[in-house]
Amino acid sequence: MALTRTTSGERWRIRPDGPDKVTGKLAYLTDMYQEGMLIGRVLRSPHPHAGIVSIRTDKAKRIPGVHAVITHADVPGMNRFGIVNPDQPVLCEDRVRYIGDAIAAVAAETQEIAALALESIEVEYVLLPVVDDPAFAQTKQAPRLHPGGNVLHRNQYGHGEVGKGFAKCKHIVEESYSTPRQMHTYMETEGGLFIPEDGGRLTVYSPTQHGYKDRMQLARILGLPEFNIRVVSSPIGGSFGGKDELNVQPYGALLALVTGKPVKIHNSRYESVRAGLKRHPMKIKMRTGVDENGRIMAHQVHIVADTGAYATLGAEVLNFAIEHVTGPYTYESVEVEGVSVYTNNGVSGEFRGFGGNQAIFALEGQMDRLAEKLGMDPWEFRLANMRKPEDPGPLGQTIVRTDGAMRTWESLARSPIWLRRHDRRTSEPWIRRGTGAAIAMHGSGLGFGIPDPAGGMLALAEDGKIEAIFGYEEFGQGLIATLELMLIEQFGFGAEDVRIVIGDTDLVPHSGSSTASRATSMMWKSLQKLRGPFLDRMLNEASKLLSQPADNLRIGRGGIWDKSGEHLLLTYALLARNISEEIRFQTHFPFPVSPTKRVGAHYLYTYAAVAVEVEVNVLTGRVKVLKQFHAIAAGPVMNPQGFLGQIEGGSGMAVGFALTEDSLMERGAYLTRNLDTYLIPSYADLNGEIEVHAIEELPEDDDHGPRGVGEIGSVCIAPAISEAVFQATGKRVNKLPIDPELLQETPDFLAKAVDGI
Amino acid sequence: MINKSLAERRSDKELECEINGQPMSLEVPPTRRLLAILRDDLQLTGTKVSCEIGRCGACMVLVDGRPVNSCLTMAYQCQGKKITTIEGIGQDEVDPIQQCFLEEGGYQCGYCTPGMIVSVKALLDDNRDPGIEDIEEALSGNLCRCTGYGGIVRSVHKAVQLRRNSS
Ligand code: FES
Ligand code: FES
Repeated sequence: MALTRTTSGERWRIRPDGPDKVTGKLAYLTDMYQEGMLIGRVLRSPHPHAGIVSIRTDKAKRIPGVHAVITHADVPGMNRFGIVNPDQPVLCEDRVRYIGDAIAAVAAETQEIAALALESIEVEYVLLPVVDDPAFAQTKQAPRLHPGGNVLHRNQYGHGEVGKGFAKCKHIVEESYSTPRQMHTYMETEGGLFIPEDGGRLTVYSPTQHGYKDRMQLARILGLPEFNIRVVSSPIGGSFGGKDELNVQPYGALLALVTGKPVKIHNSRYESVRAGLKRHPMKIKMRTGVDENGRIMAHQVHIVADTGAYATLGAEVLNFAIEHVTGPYTYESVEVEGVSVYTNNGVSGEFRGFGGNQAIFALEGQMDRLAEKLGMDPWEFRLANMRKPEDPGPLGQTIVRTDGAMRTWESLARSPIWLRRHDRRTSEPWIRRGTGAAIAMHGSGLGFGIPDPAGGMLALAEDGKIEAIFGYEEFGQGLIATLELMLIEQFGFGAEDVRIVIGDTDLVPHSGSSTASRATSMMWKSLQKLRGPFLDRMLNEASKLLSQPADNLRIGRGGIWDKSGEHLLLTYALLARNISEEIRFQTHFPFPVSPTKRVGAHYLYTYAAVAVEVEVNVLTGRVKVLKQFHAIAAGPVMNPQGFLGQIEGGSGMAVGFALTEDSLMERGAYLTRNLDTYLIPSYADLNGEIEVHAIEELPEDDDHGPRGVGEIGSVCIAPAISEAVFQATGKRVNKLPIDPELLQETPDFLAKAVDGI
Repeated sequence: MINKSLAERRSDKELECEINGQPMSLEVPPTRRLLAILRDDLQLTGTKVSCEIGRCGACMVLVDGRPVNSCLTMAYQCQGKKITTIEGIGQDEVDPIQQCFLEEGGYQCGYCTPGMIVSVKALLDDNRDPGIEDIEEALSGNLCRCTGYGGIVRSVHKAVQLRRNSS
């Protein structure tokens, strides 16, 4: 059934954070203000690659109204950051490796004084050759960007012998795919308020996807014990992976500690563009062959990822791409190799889809090309090679038994868009119509071998509110709303009975990160574990107070009711006031992982099958997505509005990835510096029809519950659009975003006019 | 409620205007941007900042009822004008447009939402029965990165319908 407001009935609710969002009352962390606060700014390198000869700050320091100018010499702890591999300088010592590298930071009384102070810092550079091509970066002639060379990470996977496999092939498709340097483009740029507190503590109000991880990294940089830092990290004006790594926090924190005053930083858009992460541009070469029956005999893949100047999660992204270039298919032989290479092209890192988007674009492109060679329907061709429920995962690992691939495949095969795919009629001769489809499996959680803790807490607060306390973040996905709905549906509380506490390291337990499509599933699991003990304890306490056996009581809206549900016997407020001992339960457990010991390999997967109908204007070369159909198998839907929003939002972002978005660089400098040239989809680009089908049933023995859907909506759109464009124009796309010039045709009437001369 | 002290510290020239129905006289340089006056001086942070070049609409406000990017508007252009920010819409009870956004889920992170609602308000105040193209045009300067516009399309269509029925 299509997931809509109507089909969701009462489960479609107004989000608890909604009223403050539509009235503008919600204070984002970058809206905060404190009397006497200073403005922080960061001096960033104008060069993509240079040695630093000297940094002179005396002039800047002498400007009235400037309270601090800091450089690497002022970093008390480790002058590096990076979630897994801390190789990025907080403030560069002797070398800059990208156009956003930070050299100094200032705190001043006004924006204007801060800007003047930045200009007054004198840095002498010696320019070094720019490494802007990952292929060149791997050669002997290339300057070494890091002590270990220019390769961040290499990995591979294989089974069978591709040489033998190819020998059996009737058709072989060889193609090289490239993908753009997509920008997250959260509407709220990075920033926050940093407040030094009494007793040497520091409060950091700044968006991140994992408050505790920021706290750990900041403690390392500041040389402070972790408990001296409080990180308040929600609400967030969008992140999509882009605020997962530290951004302005080290500078705000250092400046606040040095000046002893609150410091506010809020990046301009260009600063966000130059300093922030991007999606890894990848070049993916694939060679794939089928026998005369259409069975895939061999699949050979080579991935080169441009990771930019520093590591952040570049290695993990490459591992994810390697895992996802084979998809929900079986092969007689596979050989995948990948390398993630340092360059001076900004910094690439974590981004919704996490390497899956690039991998699936290439893989699904191969499937469509092979089907064409075989003269087979592309959807039937996929079915002929599809994995079976008990097959191992893409890296040969044990995974939870799943029929998601088949279920989404079937759902799409019956979709109206797919059934009318051969109807190509359009209103004008220069408009062409086409339909394409793609399918994917996408891992959730961080994968084997990477610490992936989860958990949460339930408590009855003194004022009688039921507190659900989690270390997750709200960046718009609707986590608070989902948690509220779970508490209503699974516990029987009323919305007004509960208080949700998130995003504050002083208050919340370790729950792991809000990334990798994991938070919803981990909240669900936490509540499953907490439900029994928490409710039992509540009923037992109530039974003592009411002198009635617990069996006669039940939990309900507003308090404890009699079994029949007719009489409210005790409000939660009264219960809270009269208990002898606090009611508080906590749970802690790891995200489920495969027993197969392969780093990064996933255990739980979600599935998507997506069809799109597009129109191509062959005069302008522009593609418009008219209709989308998404079949998503991710277990039970916890929050219909949130689920739909994630699929619509993820796919909207992917339409940009396919059609318009690329952070263009020339010799390591950004050419697209703001939203006038970096084009994300607008209202008119995305007001076509979109239908989302949620396949909620899981195999009987699957007790892992709902999977997150933060990423799955974004991975199939690009290949589906590419195939639709091929159906419309006969032109194959191997590079994103699709270049309109590729699709432009000389209009008929011009050809005729020339003939007539 | 509104703290004028910071704005006045930048004493230069008197700006007389009305903000959310309240007459204001502020001493700000004539070139100070309306966005900075609202967010930094008056702490009316419901108006958001994102691109500062008139492309995203996060900073949208009404000036004499017309939608304007406050990042591109200078103080002198506001002289004698009536300015309405998101804080001035649905002050007493939520505006029907806001209600539609709430019910249809026309927001996620909410950062584009104030600007989006201001633009829809300008459209519907001006046009009782806008067609698809009018809506596309009215929202052409408002970007949203979270929703893929699905929820926004539903919210706006519902608000348009309400407006149609009310007239
Ligand atoms: S901030 Fe004014 S239009 Fe973007
Ligand atoms: S809701 Fe986040 S930008 Fe629109």
